[in-house]
Amino acid sequence: MTVELKETRLPGVGVKFSMTLYSGARITVIQHNEGDREIYVHRRAGDEDPVAVVELHDDEARQLGAVLGGAYERPRIVEELEMALGEFLIEWIKVPPGSWVNGRTLSDVAFRRRTGVTVIAILRESESIAGAQPDDVILEGDTIVVVGKAGQFPGVKTLLASTTPPGD
Amino acid sequence: MTLAELAVTVGLLGVLGLAASRFGLSAIPAYLLAGIILGPNDPAFIQLVQPSEVTDFVAEIGLIFLLFFLGLEFSVDRLIRSGRHVGLGGAADLAVNAGLGALIGVAAFGFGFAAIVVAACVYVSSSAIAVKALSDFRRLADDETDLVLAILLFEDVAIAAVLGFVATGGGSAATTAGVTAKALIFVGAALAASRWLGGPLGRLLARLELEFFLLAVFGFVIAMSAIAKELDMSEAVGALMAGVILSDSGVREEIEQRFFALRDVFAALFFFAFALTIDLGKVGDVGWIVLFAVCVTLAGKIGVGVLAGRLGGFSSRQGLNAGAALVAHGEFTVVLAQLAAGNAALAVAHREDIAAFAGLYVLATATIGVVLLKESKRIGRALLPAQP
Repeated sequence: MTVELKETRLPGVGVKFSMTLYSGARITVIQHNEGDREIYVHRRAGDEDPVAVVELHDDEARQLGAVLGGAYERPRIVEELEMALGEFLIEWIKVPPGSWVNGRTLSDVAFRRRTGVTVIAILRESESIAGAQPDDVILEGDTIVVVGKAGQFPGVKTLLASTTPPGD
Repeated sequence: MTLAELAVTVGLLGVLGLAASRFGLSAIPAYLLAGIILGPNDPAFIQLVQPSEVTDFVAEIGLIFLLFFLGLEFSVDRLIRSGRHVGLGGAADLAVNAGLGALIGVAAFGFGFAAIVVAACVYVSSSAIAVKALSDFRRLADDETDLVLAILLFEDVAIAAVLGFVATGGGSAATTAGVTAKALIFVGAALAASRWLGGPLGRLLARLELEFFLLAVFGFVIAMSAIAKELDMSEAVGALMAGVILSDSGVREEIEQRFFALRDVFAALFFFAFALTIDLGKVGDVGWIVLFAVCVTLAGKIGVGVLAGRLGGFSSRQGLNAGAALVAHGEFTVVLAQLAAGNAALAVAHREDIAAFAGLYVLATATIGVVLLKESKRIGRALLPAQP
């Protein structure tokens, strides 16, 4: 991670993330408290006026984030790597056939409570789901894309491997 | 106020508000203008709406909502977390602009309680107008915007502290001390309640169906306001503390989303009802104060922007942008004037003058401030060197 992401709180508005790209341009993302995002692009970091401003609704931003994060198509360069996000990793995990999670919603499976990871997308032959929501259903043959810490992934695999719901 | 009058009022508010936003201006001065036009005082060609129990009541609800929302967003944690700009910029702004405000107050009303009210009115910029304009003019990504928002946060906290004083202070030293002590106990109790009651209250509210959720929250806010008023404090303090208690409850976002529209409607009516009492015939009396105050505000707020900007490592151009965002005054100036208008410790003539002053002052600064902010980068390029 050589690109520094600067996070600033904007009281009454939301949170601002900005990073200066290798090209010298600057990208700023404003995450509004209401859930909308705005992307500002400055051609050079010191420029007064942005050359582009894009407003995104929550669902649009998630979709775009999934594309940029490689949830749809893993960039060849990272094919064999997990993507590092600070101390977090993104992992692609195939749901084994016969797993108890097939046909259940993400909130039923409770990945976050049971393993600490968050499911960000569900990859499926027919139509993949980016920006997975709690009521999205996992089907036979899906691959789930999860964000978590390195030590949490074995737990996810164990959870998926079980054929019966864990009795907790 | 009859239904027909209400219909005309709301229609006019809508038309003027829409027109203002078409020109990139804030709606608050438009609502004030509607009140001045339709009210019983000069200009007298339309006198459609008389101040009455109904308009007072509507204004009170609007006031309660404005302060409830301030309380919801109120968090000392957040103040500390927003970092270095808050302390430095906020203190510079308080020292300079409350000082200049006191000067104006003394010049207009002599030494006394009225001068303190004017000082507070001139000190507090409009968070609502600034945030909307910064967002409209694509300024949110600018570095100096951090400074502006930090200063506004500081102002909101400072003004929350003087609300109760403006509403009920100003009597003899003993009464003022008694009122202050009572307010401190009330605020202390509410803060303790927010720590211990916020969680359980939030869980209870989260379990309710939507209809009852809305009623319960609304009832709680009104009840807190009523209790504060029964204790001879301002309803504003009660509403503020209701917000503070619910800010830690985990249902804050839901409350904000659900009540946002209601707040905006009643806030518009609040500004309108406040403006009913403004008498343009008083321009002869308060016109010079308003003019003086607007000039002083331009100098003071832009000066603080540049000063705090320099201290925070910004260029003069960025400082100018920051200062320009602070020129517009709005909701809290009107709230303070409204509270002062209900304070028996002030002479009646002073109350009327303060209302007229605050209304005209907000009308002027809210318009000038937004235009200035829109053009501040161009002005900076023309007048100031690129580097500090």
